[in-house]
Amino acid sequence: MPDILVVATAPDGKLSRSSLELVAGAHAISGPLGLGVTALLLGTGPGLADAPQVLHHHGVARVLRVDHPLLTAGESDAYLRAIEKAARAERPEIVLVSADTMGRDIAARLAWRLGAALVTECFELAAGDGAVVARRQVYGGRAVATMAVTRRPAVFSIKPRSLDVPAPAPVPGTVEDLAVEMDPGDLPTRVRQVLREQSDVGLEDAQVVVGGGRGMGGPDGFAQLGELASVLGGAVGASRPPADSGWVPLSWQVGQTGKTIRPALYVAVGISGATQHVAGVSGSRVIVAINRDPEAPIFSVAHLGIVADYREIVPPLIAKIKELKGL
Amino acid sequence: MDVVVCLKQVVDPELPVRDFAVDPGTQRQVREGRPLVISTYDENALEVALQLKDASGAKVKVLTLGPQAAVGDAIRLALAMGADEAIVVDDPRAPELSGAEKARMLAAAIRRIGHADLVLTGCESADWVERVVAPLLAEDLDAACVTFVSRVESGDGAPVVRRLVEDGCHLVEVRLPAVLSVTSDESNRPRLPKVKDIMAAKRKPVHTWSPADLTCSSAGDPGAGVEVRGVVVPERTSRCEFLSGDPAEQVAALAQRLRDQKLL
Amino acid sequence: MDPLVPTREIYWNIPLIGVVVMYLLAAASVGVFGHGVYQHFRMWRLGQPVDRLTPVWPRLRSVLLHVAAHGRLLADRTSGIYHLALFWGFAFLLVGTMVVFVQADLRLPIMRGAFYLYFQSLALDLMGAAATAGVAAALVMRYIFKSPRLRRGILSDGVILWLLGAILVTGFLVEGLRIAGTRDPWGPWSPVGYQISVLAGMVGMSPSTVRDSHAILWWVHFALSMVFIAYIPRSKLFHLLLAPVNVYLRPLADAGSPRLVDFEKVERFGASAFSDLTWKDLFDLDVCTECGRCTALCPANTTGKLLSPMHVVLDLRDEMKRTGRASAPTLAGGVVQAEALWGCTTCLACMEACPVFIEHVPKIVEMRRYLAMEEAVVPDLMGEALRSLEARGHPFRGAGIARTAWAEGLEVKSLPSGDAAEWLLWVGCAAAMNERNHSTLRALVRVLHAGGVDLAILGDEETCTGDPARAMGNEYLFQTLARQNIETLDRYRVKKIVTACPHCYNTFKHTYPQMGGRYEVWHHSQLLAHLVEAGRIAPAAPTDSIVAFHDPCYLGRHNGEYAAPRGVLRAIPGVRTVEISHCRENGFCCGAGGGLYWSEDRTGQRINHVRTDQAVASGAQIVATACPFCMLMIEDGVAARETPVRPLDIAELLDRSITGSR
Repeated sequence: MPDILVVATAPDGKLSRSSLELVAGAHAISGPLGLGVTALLLGTGPGLADAPQVLHHHGVARVLRVDHPLLTAGESDAYLRAIEKAARAERPEIVLVSADTMGRDIAARLAWRLGAALVTECFELAAGDGAVVARRQVYGGRAVATMAVTRRPAVFSIKPRSLDVPAPAPVPGTVEDLAVEMDPGDLPTRVRQVLREQSDVGLEDAQVVVGGGRGMGGPDGFAQLGELASVLGGAVGASRPPADSGWVPLSWQVGQTGKTIRPALYVAVGISGATQHVAGVSGSRVIVAINRDPEAPIFSVAHLGIVADYREIVPPLIAKIKELKGL
Repeated sequence: MDVVVCLKQVVDPELPVRDFAVDPGTQRQVREGRPLVISTYDENALEVALQLKDASGAKVKVLTLGPQAAVGDAIRLALAMGADEAIVVDDPRAPELSGAEKARMLAAAIRRIGHADLVLTGCESADWVERVVAPLLAEDLDAACVTFVSRVESGDGAPVVRRLVEDGCHLVEVRLPAVLSVTSDESNRPRLPKVKDIMAAKRKPVHTWSPADLTCSSAGDPGAGVEVRGVVVPERTSRCEFLSGDPAEQVAALAQRLRDQKLL
Repeated sequence: MDPLVPTREIYWNIPLIGVVVMYLLAAASVGVFGHGVYQHFRMWRLGQPVDRLTPVWPRLRSVLLHVAAHGRLLADRTSGIYHLALFWGFAFLLVGTMVVFVQADLRLPIMRGAFYLYFQSLALDLMGAAATAGVAAALVMRYIFKSPRLRRGILSDGVILWLLGAILVTGFLVEGLRIAGTRDPWGPWSPVGYQISVLAGMVGMSPSTVRDSHAILWWVHFALSMVFIAYIPRSKLFHLLLAPVNVYLRPLADAGSPRLVDFEKVERFGASAFSDLTWKDLFDLDVCTECGRCTALCPANTTGKLLSPMHVVLDLRDEMKRTGRASAPTLAGGVVQAEALWGCTTCLACMEACPVFIEHVPKIVEMRRYLAMEEAVVPDLMGEALRSLEARGHPFRGAGIARTAWAEGLEVKSLPSGDAAEWLLWVGCAAAMNERNHSTLRALVRVLHAGGVDLAILGDEETCTGDPARAMGNEYLFQTLARQNIETLDRYRVKKIVTACPHCYNTFKHTYPQMGGRYEVWHHSQLLAHLVEAGRIAPAAPTDSIVAFHDPCYLGRHNGEYAAPRGVLRAIPGVRTVEISHCRENGFCCGAGGGLYWSEDRTGQRINHVRTDQAVASGAQIVATACPFCMLMIEDGVAARETPVRPLDIAELLDRSITGSR
């Protein structure tokens, strides 16, 4: 049956969260297009034995599994070869790839090799009149482009955290193991080392930033902001006063004399909203402000505002988000 | 080592909101009268190339696709920063082409240039943000590909590049020829040009080719079956929506809103 | 000798052979002196040419005011007074020595009669005593009170003072012994010498002891004097000759600005070798007396930064002495550290304080030019400001607002729309790109309209005057921007410009004319003061507040305008003015000058915080400003210090008083 192929990755043997988001995307279009959904599960490690069950649990009946020692974290060329091999065998109509680290390396190249249509960095997938309709952010988030794809096959890459993890819908499922022959010498790129760094990772590239200002009152409040950023999947920043006072590292400073950021979500906690700071965040898609002072200038640039002491808002907010995300 | 850096000129991303408009005919941003700058990450790519030149004497060529009249500033700046020569493919349709169409033309241009060990591009362009040019170039040129690179360390043997990921980085060994897309990092802040180099840039060679001079690979029409239905500026409420109630209610309302906006 | 004609025997008690030896030694000393001067002259000649000899009369006037009357030295009252005593004391004694020379060698009998009594005896003794008191006071200030601005532990500083003291004291002793030995009838006309002779008598010195001691002391006095003369060009004593000359050579208009660069002609941009500086720059280095007044008033240094204007001068001087020639380009970033160079706000406090008129700031900017244009290495934030200037014509990265955003809803003529007007209101980037300054601009337009001023703006066709680029050392970018503006201004046939930004004002006034852009430019405080005085604006609604004016460096020290803004404030009813401790010529910078708005300012205290503290301490409720940069810095300062004191532009204050609006 012509299918939607969902590329699910499990580099450490554990199914990635974005894989489930892709499943949601697949479900959204499979009905209207009259297509089935097959998951291609790639990875290595002991967890790969149980991973297909998670897919079955979320409504994907057919799982193709490729277990190969080269399918480790970051080994894009290995994944590309495996996916290409599977795709040539399966001949899917549509392939969904997550636009994560590997997806950025792989999606376009897969489309080329399969002679497929290509739309990348989508945040929404829908179907209508036989076309797949994808929406994507353009012009730094200032506009939204709607793309309609009628050609088959078609490859779509989906931005992580754009789609919701689907509600569980268990189905009886099958697992087929697919053998892929690969030698290290076949790969034009090889990962030599994986370095995990805790420091200000990509404040400028983070999709979500939680910023703290003078209203935090001291360095301690930033621990809470760190937790909030973490459950939102983002980074912590600060306006100038906390950086000046040494509550936070200088590299966290956002504003005219700090970093300029353009996240999808910026949460300003205890920040008054002086022009110099706002200049660094005004491109954010959604700005949420939490401040005790209803007259604070930040509210004139925020989309959502809460006038309250952050200590009464942030802890319950963290709890609520955890609850909604099932963490 | 021969390095080619692909540059794109885009409308200044810091344009005041009020000057941002989409032309319904072309489905692209109105460029008329707006200031143009080199796409942000392309500058980082150029800086990485120039660091290779400083370290091991690589030759750096810059390549850009665009209407001749518009690209002058970008080329001049790139040459002033230290690139050795520039190639312009003069195509008035350039701002409306998709990433895939552009990648095809760039690949053809690179084949015409002759030899390139490394091709560098920005990880994404500041306007259309597709992130496809580097991977498609790699396929078209039959080269290796790594995206979101911050640094290239070339010693003896295959170069090792640093690819930035969400929680750190990977050191990836790459076989040449390779296409790398570059993201910004402390180590690749674009350099300021020396005044002598700004003046000397006028004497560096700039070649202009037309699309007819290029032989594109016959991989079919990349744009077939993909239609841009619309490019819309979402309605921006200028008023802040205050969430009311006691803290518990405010938190619940906020969480719901974030969820609705797909931010969770 | 005729005992009735007042005079004295020169060389009494000195045999002829002694006199001959004296002349030979004197010649040798003068030779050493001359050689020393020549060594310096050779270095000065390495410098680039510059015209500082004309116009003559204003320069002579400066010499009269600052050398004869010690204009700047008296800013530090105590040391000013005793230096005045030292200076005039030695000046008189020098004339006295010339008189002896004329009498003895030119054989003109002038040293006699009333002249001898009143001048050569009485005046010289009193002035010599004053000089001696001056030396004593200097020793006390240096060693007992340990004046903080003086450098510690330098041997030659002590040697010089003791040498001067010894010359004076031995001089008096010689005089006293001569009076005793010759039983000089005119002795009492030299009061100090006379008392010494009386003392000699009281102590019971025999005539032969008197003669012998006189002879010994005469030779000691002579030897010390010859050492002194030979030492002049080899120590800071050189300032005796160089300082008056340096006052003559001072910059007249536009003291702080560096020279215009001709990019077609110049081989190397900026200064990193001695031959890149002008001969006047090199001359400056030898004039420094190491008094430390410049560093003591430098806002960077007093808030804990590395920069010390005195050390910039002395490090260059020491290197010049060490290498003795043009040298390789090692000054910018080498001899003078980059961190010091980038810490300067170009506020001119150092140059205003310097009693010998050394030009610190132009040298610093020349060295910045080398770093910015030859090496293309500037601090990160400044680099981003420069890139933004290059790409979008203003240095405020991330501002994301249109240049005309401030004028939305306001009726104001626009030249690009085809309007014509008598005045161009030049807005400037600091005002247009920063929302805090929008209310200043709107208030200014309302007030000028109320005063019947016909004005228009350039709107989007304004591009930065280039001042930030110039201050950061990128003269090339500055000239590119300037040429663009001049072309625009000339296309619209602009004749008169009024601007609320002292940096723009300064650039239009002094630098654009050098590039062919000549316009009559007023700062808004000047135009407002003029309108108020002429009765065209009548501020009526009282503002019951205590207001202190913060002098912008580029309006005050750079352009001498202290009165106009104060005139505006005084005209507002209900305003009680106070002065901040450091005001007018002694004003303390807000910290944004010299491109330092684009810097982190994380070493020591923040300059703008210190200035805010000074403003708060003055008792003011409102700090009045007249510069968009000062406004932003003080707003940041009052927020950081959490004080109720508020900054307001003089235009805003005037506007409230005219319209009664809050």
